[in-house]
Amino acid sequence: MKTFEEKFTAWIDGQLTGKELVEFEASLPDKAAAELEKEQAQKLGAFLKEQLGAHSMTNEEFFHHQLREQIDHEEGIGAGAPARRSGETWWTIGRLLWTGAASLAVFIVCTFFIMRDEKVGGQSPLLSQVLGARVDNPEANISIFETKEHKVTVLWVNGLESLPSEYAAQ
Amino acid sequence: MSHRSAALAVAVFMLGMTSCGRESKVVWSGLVIATNVPAPTPIPAEFSWLEGTFKGIFGYNQFQVIGQSRKILKTGEEDWLAKSNYFALHVDSKGTTRDSYLLNLKLFQQEKLLLETDAKLSKTSPLVIKGPQVGNGLLVLVLVIE
Repeated sequence: MKTFEEKFTAWIDGQLTGKELVEFEASLPDKAAAELEKEQAQKLGAFLKEQLGAHSMTNEEFFHHQLREQIDHEEGIGAGAPARRSGETWWTIGRLLWTGAASLAVFIVCTFFIMRDEKVGGQSPLLSQVLGARVDNPEANISIFETKEHKVTVLWVNGLESLPSEYAAQ
Repeated sequence: MSHRSAALAVAVFMLGMTSCGRESKVVWSGLVIATNVPAPTPIPAEFSWLEGTFKGIFGYNQFQVIGQSRKILKTGEEDWLAKSNYFALHVDSKGTTRDSYLLNLKLFQQEKLLLETDAKLSKTSPLVIKGPQVGNGLLVLVLVIE
């Protein structure tokens, strides 16, 4: 026993005939609306057949299509420059890792050289340094030290000739 | 497009760093007489923050500036003179590193060269030189990057 929906589908597809067709059409509450729906369904079906039919391939066509794809792929590899697919980026995970590791290595090397240059003589680069001193008196002696407070670098010269107080004038 | 933006950002950053590294600095150079007096005058503002350190180092309670110079260094290869009646400190900047200047210092007593020294003056570390005794006091040379 067919349901109403099954009979309706068969009626739209034109598969109802004879007594069955007459009985079904008599059972329709609004035959005009049903006819309109049938017409629209048939139009849609025709449209879909037309569209799908344009893309369908026979076995022979499909084989040729696959063969062409294979040849194009092999030619691309042979040329050494495979085209990048759209949306694919150069930054793969592997390349990101290698780039990160290389950057870290460069940073460490630079830091090493900078620290080595700045720590010459064991003195902090933040301190002033006396690199050399000469006095006119051969008996004079020189010493250098830094204060902990305020990091003052002091060149202490002993043995310079004492001068009278008038030399303190501005 | 994003790579270009990143490269542009890096270039602007590097330019900024370079310009920061080359900003001009002011070097204050002073000839200072340190003495012990019953009522000391206030220590000069240029190195007032070093008062305790100076008193500890030299054992004097008064520090008077008898000659000074405040030089703006733009290229790091300038020279200048801080002088008093009898002394002159000639400072010749030979170049600059990231945070300091390489200086050649010459202390003259009138025409006579008393002391010559090469030093690296750092921004965070004043340079002080103990000079000759003058009367009951002491001549002190002070160099500070302000």
